[in-house]
Amino acid sequence: MSDEPKTPQHDVIVVGAGPAALTAAIYTTREDIDTLLFERAVIGGLAAATDKIDNYPGFPDGVEGLVLSDQLRKQAERFGAVIELGEVTAIRDEGELKRLETTSGDMLARAVLIATGSDYKKIGVPGEQDFYARGVHYCATCDGAFYRDKRLVVVGGGNSAFQETIFLTRFASHIDLLVRSTVRASDVLQAELQEFVKAGKVTIHLATTTDEIVGENNAVTKVVGTHDGQKVEFPTDGVFVFVGLMPNSQFVKDTLDLDTIGFIKTDQSLQTSLPGVFAAGDIRSGATMQIASAAGEGATVALKLREYLEGRSHPPQN
Amino acid sequence: MTVAVPERHGEVTSAPNEGDHMVKNITIFTTNTCGYCQMVKKYLGAKGMTYEEVNLDEHPHRQAEALQMSGAMTVPVTVVTKTDDSQEIIVGYNLAKLAPAVA
Repeated sequence: MSDEPKTPQHDVIVVGAGPAALTAAIYTTREDIDTLLFERAVIGGLAAATDKIDNYPGFPDGVEGLVLSDQLRKQAERFGAVIELGEVTAIRDEGELKRLETTSGDMLARAVLIATGSDYKKIGVPGEQDFYARGVHYCATCDGAFYRDKRLVVVGGGNSAFQETIFLTRFASHIDLLVRSTVRASDVLQAELQEFVKAGKVTIHLATTTDEIVGENNAVTKVVGTHDGQKVEFPTDGVFVFVGLMPNSQFVKDTLDLDTIGFIKTDQSLQTSLPGVFAAGDIRSGATMQIASAAGEGATVALKLREYLEGRSHPPQN
Repeated sequence: MTVAVPERHGEVTSAPNEGDHMVKNITIFTTNTCGYCQMVKKYLGAKGMTYEEVNLDEHPHRQAEALQMSGAMTVPVTVVTKTDDSQEIIVGYNLAKLAPAVA
């Protein structure tokens, strides 16, 4: 029996609108493959929330994350990609078609690309949730401006933690960077941050855990940690957390094969355990979590989507 | 004002308005580097709605105003004032709250 009203149908529905998704859409729409993207948060994904991107090819002086995201969006839209602001909440297999339950109603697609990327992980310590958005933050480009001439703690030892610490130096009077074990950030970022260490603006604390975020009167006052078996305290007005990524795969956890962390498993064609559903970018198990890699996977998966679509005829319209 | 803290970015809000009042004006507190701010502006722009933007990088003295209204140290903060002068305050880019507030 046909749906009433008729369910909208597209050749490809892309879940997400980050670098992998937008690159895939550039490729599919240039080949006249009808492509709709769904984005629940920010077009450009985590890249859009990154202050400066220095390792994306073609930008010798680096590029602001928002600028790169906007350029990718414009390029995809120039070829006919449509970006809908909303959320896909489930994907159901209906044979040659996939049904996507969305905040805009059900939609059908001949093929689906999941490129939902990742979000920053939480530390999971006391006080973190209590002071969320009131002293504990995960987006320096959004919330850093509230800490002009104030002390901050940044938690993390990877590229994001170092990059965002550098960004936050434009606001904060001093930053304590707490690194649980050893530094994993690139040599370039380490060298750049070292300039702020020399200037007394940043202090790096290696082998220092973050155990509790403490506050009073609805404001953060200090971070309590452990170093060399001893309790240590860092007076602060706010905490920014960059301790890794968690996959945005909740909506397909019962539909697709995921790895132990929750990233989506794919084969060499970037196809998931459900034929016709592909994954690319940071959401994919084994992804390198680089914007350039995500764009590359976007191009690859677009070609695989085309192959998949060419191997099937259009099913009867409902 | 009592506010609730969201799990994800966004969503600290006052209680929904009673009745069906029209939007009188909209103010968005933003910063230059905030991607979520761009999304709120994009959404309102797509609906043909006008708004006043208060850029806290350019007007840092208005930061306390944003903080007082939202109870959160973050942007975007969108203040939707209705014709009966009631206000809805949406923190972050949260379509589930923003869409009905400006409908």
